[in-house]
Amino acid sequence: MNLEKVVFGFFVVLAATLNFGFFIGDIDDPVLHNPFELFAAIVVNLIATVLKFGDRTQIGAVHLATSLVADLQLIGAGLMWGYAEYVSSAGMTPAWTASVVSLSGGALLANLVSIVLLVIETVSFHRG
Amino acid sequence: MGNPLLTFWSRRRPDDDQRRIRRARALAATSSSAKASATIFLILRRMRAPLIVLIVIFSVSVLGLTLIPGVDAEGRPWRMGFFDAIYVMSYTATTIGFGEIPYPFTYNQRMWLTVSIYLTVIGWAYAIGSLLSLIQDRAFRQALALQRFSRKVARLAEPFVLIAGYGRAGELLGHSMDALGRRVVVLDRAAERIEGLELESYRADVPGLAADARDPAHLGVAGLDHPMCEAVVALTDDDEANLAVVMTATLLRPDVPVIARATTRAMGERMRSFGSPSVVNPFDVFGDHVRLALRAPASYQLLTWLENGPGGPLPPRGSPPRTGRWVVFGYGRLGRELTRDLRDEGIQVTVVDPQPGADGEDGVVADGSEPGVLDRVGIGSAVGFVAGTDNDTTNLSLVAAARRAAPELFVAARQNRPANAPLFQAMEIDALLVPTEVVAHQVYAQLSTPLLWRFIRDMPGRGDAWAAELVERLTGLCGEQLQALWKVRLSAEEAPSLPAWLRSGEARLGDLLRNPEDRDEPLHAVVLLVLRGDEATLDPGPDFALREGDELLLAGWPAARRALAITLQVDSAREYVVSGQRVPSGWVWRRVEEQLRRDPARRG
Repeated sequence: MNLEKVVFGFFVVLAATLNFGFFIGDIDDPVLHNPFELFAAIVVNLIATVLKFGDRTQIGAVHLATSLVADLQLIGAGLMWGYAEYVSSAGMTPAWTASVVSLSGGALLANLVSIVLLVIETVSFHRG
Repeated sequence: MGNPLLTFWSRRRPDDDQRRIRRARALAATSSSAKASATIFLILRRMRAPLIVLIVIFSVSVLGLTLIPGVDAEGRPWRMGFFDAIYVMSYTATTIGFGEIPYPFTYNQRMWLTVSIYLTVIGWAYAIGSLLSLIQDRAFRQALALQRFSRKVARLAEPFVLIAGYGRAGELLGHSMDALGRRVVVLDRAAERIEGLELESYRADVPGLAADARDPAHLGVAGLDHPMCEAVVALTDDDEANLAVVMTATLLRPDVPVIARATTRAMGERMRSFGSPSVVNPFDVFGDHVRLALRAPASYQLLTWLENGPGGPLPPRGSPPRTGRWVVFGYGRLGRELTRDLRDEGIQVTVVDPQPGADGEDGVVADGSEPGVLDRVGIGSAVGFVAGTDNDTTNLSLVAAARRAAPELFVAARQNRPANAPLFQAMEIDALLVPTEVVAHQVYAQLSTPLLWRFIRDMPGRGDAWAAELVERLTGLCGEQLQALWKVRLSAEEAPSLPAWLRSGEARLGDLLRNPEDRDEPLHAVVLLVLRGDEATLDPGPDFALREGDELLLAGWPAARRALAITLQVDSAREYVVSGQRVPSGWVWRRVEEQLRRDPARRG
């Protein structure tokens, strides 16, 4: 067992599950989408990105790319949430909530790709 | 590889060589670029830990701030949102410290912030410290330098000479190539020499890389596989390394000429077994020069003048004694070559060396520093003296002692270290060998233009009197400093105004070398050589008939070069220079004149 692989797999999966937890629920209902969960998803995604630094293989490069996409989407969602909450006078209206959640949905897709890559890597390792 | 028939087939293919070379080149290039990117990946890998620590500390502090209850301005319970928390942590962690925003903190919050401050400061210090140490990391800087260098070389759009080994000889060669307006790329093992490149006064930018030239990948990055690479010069002080450069260059780029320095004949032979590199052996060359100086002092004077490059002063014409006995101190690489050359000239030589050498007849086993050694070899009856050991101090003291014993002696000495140049200069040595300079001059003569090299090789055959007369003419026309040395090809591309005149069969060289402003005034230039096909004519007279495709090597003032360029480009200038007739250069006037000529009746 390789500890590095454990940590790596843990963060990749955790990033996806947190993201999923935030995403699930009615898209325009702010009560169902906890900002703490979004925050945790952002943090874990960032850590997963840094863990993917410096891998020279082709699959490592795609891993890094998907993580960067997820970061971009989640940070975008966080910024929109901050804007709705602090700058706009309306607060978390259903429209704003839907935008934030749909952005996190995009990030979820990238995270799922990451997990698929992880599985492919594992399987091909056993075969090779 | 498994099928013998296929192997046979691939051997039969005529372009097999080409393919092999292409593959080898691609290999060399990728291996070096992989090395550079490997370092970048290593750096990224090393930044992982600091970055993760920073992210964790930051997120824990932010999370803490949002969870800890606070109060607003009116004392009502209030919780900080993520935005406020990130804002507060950002300015606190970076030690900017705007204060307690948006409302004054409770003690609960202040306690948490105290802990966070220390945590985040540690995190930032760790991350920034790692980053700074990485930037100063030697491997990282080398990788950056390699990338910058390969980018510079790849962007070179004009022909360049690749110099492997940037010692004294490389420096001299680089500067004379630069003076000719040619580009140079430099490779040397010593980083300080490459750093010194920036301080030197080159006109063009000279890309330099501190790397071992024995590695084919480094040569590849330095432009060996660049289509504009016109020559490779191996000038390191290590013969093995030079051999490695010759091997790499001849195997990967058989179409590019290679010039290498070798200090022994055996190494020269090993180099020649790879294709046909031009090998320069400074000791051999010096021996040949001494022979030439013995036989034809004026030819020798002309040779050294032309080899010195543009701006070189006319060297004095030495006159080594032709009859009498010579004493040679030091039977090393120089001593051997020189002794052989002197004996070939029929001169008696006494060799002195601390090692009982292979030299039979007149060898004396003695250390140069022994007292009375000069008397033992009979310095009083000798006419020539060579201090040829590889130690400058020994050479200088030998020269001083020999001069005291016999002031009329012709003295030759070898200078090993460039730093000692002023000492040798003060001794006023009659013939000084500086191996690095000999190499630089030889390589320059071969690279500057092939015509100069041809001239230098053919010149000794023309005799001393002819050389003396040519030196006389050159100094009369251009002064004691060698001015520009350039090549002209009389083709339709380079000399568009000439072909018609050349085809007339009456193209005298003397007519061409006139000033286009005033044809009674000759150009301040001398044609040293005309090359037609493979046949070279040295110092052609004014009645020499030029033909299309001839190549001319000229020496003279830069102004003469510009004037000649005008004659070669502008039809009317050529017409005036050749026949003395002023022909209008504009299209309208030319038409008018043609009309007049065709209809002479209207003229009168």
